[in-house]
Amino acid sequence: MLKVAAGDRRAFAWLFDRYHASVARFAFRFVGDRERAEELTQDIFVKLYRNAKAYQPTARFKTFLFRVATNHCLNEVRRGEYRVAHTSSEAPDGEETGGVEMAGPDGDRPDQALAGRELERAVGDALRSMSDRERAAFTMCRFEGMAYRDIAEALEASESAVKSLIHRATLAVARRIEELQAGTVPARSRA
Amino acid sequence: MSCHFEEDLTAYVDGELPAARRVEVEAHLGGCTGCRATESLLRHTVARVAELPDFVPSVNTRRAVLAKLDALPVPWWERLRTLLRPAVLVPSAGLAVAVGLALVVVGPGPEAPEELEDPAVMELAANLELVEDYELLGLDSPEDLEVVASLHELEVVQ
Repeated sequence: MLKVAAGDRRAFAWLFDRYHASVARFAFRFVGDRERAEELTQDIFVKLYRNAKAYQPTARFKTFLFRVATNHCLNEVRRGEYRVAHTSSEAPDGEETGGVEMAGPDGDRPDQALAGRELERAVGDALRSMSDRERAAFTMCRFEGMAYRDIAEALEASESAVKSLIHRATLAVARRIEELQAGTVPARSRA
Repeated sequence: MSCHFEEDLTAYVDGELPAARRVEVEAHLGGCTGCRATESLLRHTVARVAELPDFVPSVNTRRAVLAKLDALPVPWWERLRTLLRPAVLVPSAGLAVAVGLALVVVGPGPEAPEELEDPAVMELAANLELVEDYELLGLDSPEDLEVVASLHELEVVQ
C-alpha cells in the first residue's frame, strides 16, 4: 500500500487482484444488485488509489480497505444514488434477477437450484430490512469472515456495538429462513 | 428471547466471546431451554448463509478501474516528480548548460566586460575569420597583423 501511495501502479494492480472479489461481494450484499455492486467496486478502488497516502501501516490493509468500502457504500446509499435493491425479492417468478449465479452443486438438480434461489431471496429480504450498519456488519462477518474487532475498526464503532449489530442482523436472517422453511414466504418467491 | 444472555449468543456461536464470558454462557445454556433453542437457530442460520454462492464480479471490472485511473488528472507534485526524474533532469540540465555556454561565447550579455563596448574590439570579434588566422599563425607584432589583414587581397592578386 505504501508503494501505491508512491504512485506504483503495479502494486495497485496487485492489490486489486487480491482484494477486488471481497469488495465486490461486500458491495453486492450491501446494495443487492450486480451492476451497482460492480460500479461501487470500481469507485472504491479508485478512491483507494487516490487516498492511498491516508493509509497508516499500523492498520491491517483489509480493515482499511473495508473502512473505505463501508463509508463509500453508506454514503452512496444515504445520498440516494443507490437504493438497496435486493432484486431477488422483487423479480417475477422464474425471471433472472441479475443476482448471483447459483453455480456448483445447487445447479445440478432443479429442486436444489430452487432451494438455493429461495434461500438467496430470503437472505436478500432480510438484508433489505436491516439498517445500513447492521447490513454492513453482517456482510463483513458472514461473507468475509472478518473478526468483530476488525469490523469495529472498519465501522469506527466499539466491539460491543458490533456484537449487537451482528446479533440483530443474524436474528433477522434467521427469522426469514424460518419463514422459508415453514412455507410462510410469499408464494411468488417459492414458485 | 428475553434472557439477558441472549445478546451474547451470536458472539458465542462466532467464537468471539472472551474466555470468561464464554464459560458463563456455556454454563447458562445447560439450564436455559430458550437460549439453547436460540443458539441452535443461530448456528443453523450461519450454516445456511454459508451455503450461498459467491458473487463473482465481471472480468471487465479490472479494465474499467485502470481506465478510470488513467483518466484521473495528474496532480502538480506528480508532474514535478516526473520532471525531476534523472532520465529527464540530466539531459535537460546538460542542454541548459550548453545553451548557457553558447550564449556566453557568441554574444555578450548585459554584464559584458567594458573593453567589448569598444566598437573596434567588437568589429574584430565579429570578424572571426581573422581572429582564427591570428591564432593559427601565432602573430604578436602589429606589422604581422596588417599582413594577415591583407591575406584576402593577396589571394585575389594570385
